[in-house]
Amino acid sequence: MSAGEAVIDVRGLTKSYGKFKALQGLDLHVERGQVHGFLGPNGAGKSTTIRVLLGLLKGDGGSAQVLGHDPWKHVVDLHRRLAYVPGDVSLWPGMTGGEAIDLLGSLRGGLDERRRADLIERFELDPSKRGRQYSKGNRQKVAIVAALSSNVELLILDEPTSGLDPLMENVFQEVIGEAKANGATVLLSSHILSEVESLADRLSIIREGAVVQTGTLADLQQGSRSTIHATLSAPVPQSALEGLSDIHVDGDRLRATVDSAEVGAAMTRLAPLGITALTVEPPSLESLFLRLYETDSTDRAAS
Amino acid sequence: MAGATAIAGTPPLLRAEVKQDGRLLVPWALLTTLLSASSMIYPLVFPSDQDKAAFAAAVGANPAMAIIFGPAYDLSTADGFNAWRALSLGGLLAALGVIFAVTRATRAQEDSGQAELLASGVMGRASRLAAAVWMCLVFSIVLGLVTGLVTVAFGGGWNASMLIAATMSATAWMFTGVAAVTAQLGSDARTANSLAVGTLGVLFIARGVAYALEAPDWAIWINPLAWMTETKPAVDDNWWPLLLAAALTLVLLAVAFVLQARREFGAGAIAPRPGPARGSARSTWRLALRINRGPLLTWTIAFIGLGFVFGYLATSVNDILGGDAALQQALASGAADSAGLVSAFLVTILSLVGILASIPGVQTMLKVRTEELEDRVEPLIATATARARYFASNVVIALAAPAVYVLIAGLLIAALTASADIGVEFGDAFLQAVATVPAVWTVIAIAVAVIGARPQVVLASWIGVLASFGLTILGPTFNLWDWVLAISPFWHVPGVTDPDADWWGLVWISLVTVLFLAIGFAGFRRRDLART
Repeated sequence: MSAGEAVIDVRGLTKSYGKFKALQGLDLHVERGQVHGFLGPNGAGKSTTIRVLLGLLKGDGGSAQVLGHDPWKHVVDLHRRLAYVPGDVSLWPGMTGGEAIDLLGSLRGGLDERRRADLIERFELDPSKRGRQYSKGNRQKVAIVAALSSNVELLILDEPTSGLDPLMENVFQEVIGEAKANGATVLLSSHILSEVESLADRLSIIREGAVVQTGTLADLQQGSRSTIHATLSAPVPQSALEGLSDIHVDGDRLRATVDSAEVGAAMTRLAPLGITALTVEPPSLESLFLRLYETDSTDRAAS
Repeated sequence: MAGATAIAGTPPLLRAEVKQDGRLLVPWALLTTLLSASSMIYPLVFPSDQDKAAFAAAVGANPAMAIIFGPAYDLSTADGFNAWRALSLGGLLAALGVIFAVTRATRAQEDSGQAELLASGVMGRASRLAAAVWMCLVFSIVLGLVTGLVTVAFGGGWNASMLIAATMSATAWMFTGVAAVTAQLGSDARTANSLAVGTLGVLFIARGVAYALEAPDWAIWINPLAWMTETKPAVDDNWWPLLLAAALTLVLLAVAFVLQARREFGAGAIAPRPGPARGSARSTWRLALRINRGPLLTWTIAFIGLGFVFGYLATSVNDILGGDAALQQALASGAADSAGLVSAFLVTILSLVGILASIPGVQTMLKVRTEELEDRVEPLIATATARARYFASNVVIALAAPAVYVLIAGLLIAALTASADIGVEFGDAFLQAVATVPAVWTVIAIAVAVIGARPQVVLASWIGVLASFGLTILGPTFNLWDWVLAISPFWHVPGVTDPDADWWGLVWISLVTVLFLAIGFAGFRRRDLART
């Protein structure tokens, strides 16, 4: 179990549905013990990638390895070692949540009774309701409890919190943290950036069926811009605005972005003007995301 | 005024409904048209009076056929033949069409959440039901007009053809009403459909038995389907029983709207209770049993009922045959012999049981597809469950349950016939039921192959049931060649009392079964699972 062991290794994966190319040469590398954020807008190919990793779909080209095996060929052995939470959880209408958890757990090869009870309590889930009575969030809780009640090496989570309220999302973050502490590897797909930001060690951003950027949060933030909100005691002179962009001045209030490396220099220029209030936001994934998109649309406009 | 707001927004909803689901109604109208218009080839198939008389003796007098077609009043003309062949079956088809349409437009939409989206628009509480009912009432009339006019165009008499078609419309009207009521009673689409189709099935069999046994008048007049038969097209041409149908439709619709106004959105008459917090279904096998539990129970009861009805019918087979003058003539002339007729009756009735039993088998396979489409298979396959194992759990139920149904019905039929002293041993009759099982499996195996390998053409799952019914039950009325009839697996079921019985047929159809099963399994292992 070396640190650099690849739990998921996807190279040049392609998959088409008729004429529609869902995946166009996707590369994805997740190492053991990592929480890997898998980010992208709707329809970018996240769920298709996950379904290939689960052996539900067969890739057209390229290769995919999960825990060192081909997910299509070694489907049963692999599934004993991983657990999955789908983005859109559908339960058997006449079966209770508790029954569904037990069924899924048994099929995976047994579940940890203490964990099951603990998770049901923490997620405030009523396991005696029937599938058709649950709301979206509660259906998701059923799937999360079922997946996390088994001790597995790899958790594959496809937008697992899209129906959870903020309190439950906190519980979810805790629980994933615990799983990671126990040595599990997590692939967490999402389009909610904040959720991935706080959990993920590394991130891959997918767009139109290919990973466009991958690295740690710090790697991805390189070359991106911080946002400054400042209230000054005097009107803002032009000279102080050097090196800033996206400038909005409203009387004595200033909002602008600055290259992360240039924050210090900008402060030096603003300080003499008498700062009464100041916040500097580090570059968020949101801005990173938007930037990727802006460059992309300008490229397109140019071509 | 309250009434007007309750159905506000019906017209746009109706338009949307017709656009979305209208095309699903078309096949039913095509089927009734085909059924009725094709009767006009009768004079070509049976040109001489002698042929017609022989046909009337052999097929028209078979009580098993009477269960499906009702009484044959006059088989000497094409119109009379049409009245016998198309009236009850056409009504059944038209009724099935509207039952599914009403449920689809009401309950199924509530299940899927579409209705909730609509309910938040400018729409009365009763509008969805009103739109569904309007669509089906109008469709019923169109179905009747098309069926009648096409039949006339092919040479049917105006009065008889239009009356036959009108009974189909009237049956569809009544079952629009029944489905509107059951959509309020059941708490999901499946339950609503089962209740309505169950009502249709019970009334249909009750009518067949009533006429086959020449039951007292009350047994006929309490059955709305029998009203249709009482129109006696081509013989008496009574139009007035159609008024009874219209009146019943209005009563049923009134009940449906009252129930609809009283119940809450998404709820049925039976409120769901909390269930167990722990599960006992811990394998795909137990899961397959669990999700098919309701239908398994319902169908078992249905086949116990069917066994009693058919068995009772078998006990009176001699009385029925004895009362038929044409048949007596045929018997006397040596064109038919009594033992042969009883044996033919048993073979037909058990084939009918077999074809009916294959329906729940196909439904079990369709359920596999529904589960897949509703994303419930994906999380299962994402556990340490092999695809073949999941598929096999369901295929076993799809094959075993219908076999048990045939044996249950066969046991009852055999017990009752053996007690009636009509020259049939218990062992022979039961063996006949056992011999029918391989044919049932062939029909279901087609559905296994379709769902496993090509689920996009899910309707093809029904090919086996349709072909078997069309060839084995309807085939003789077309005087079809043996090589065509042999397409139906039931054709290969030997008469066990026949000394020249050819048992190889069962081996051949079983090979076909194995082939279809292999295709299904290979397909399910290899194909992509449905994605949303």
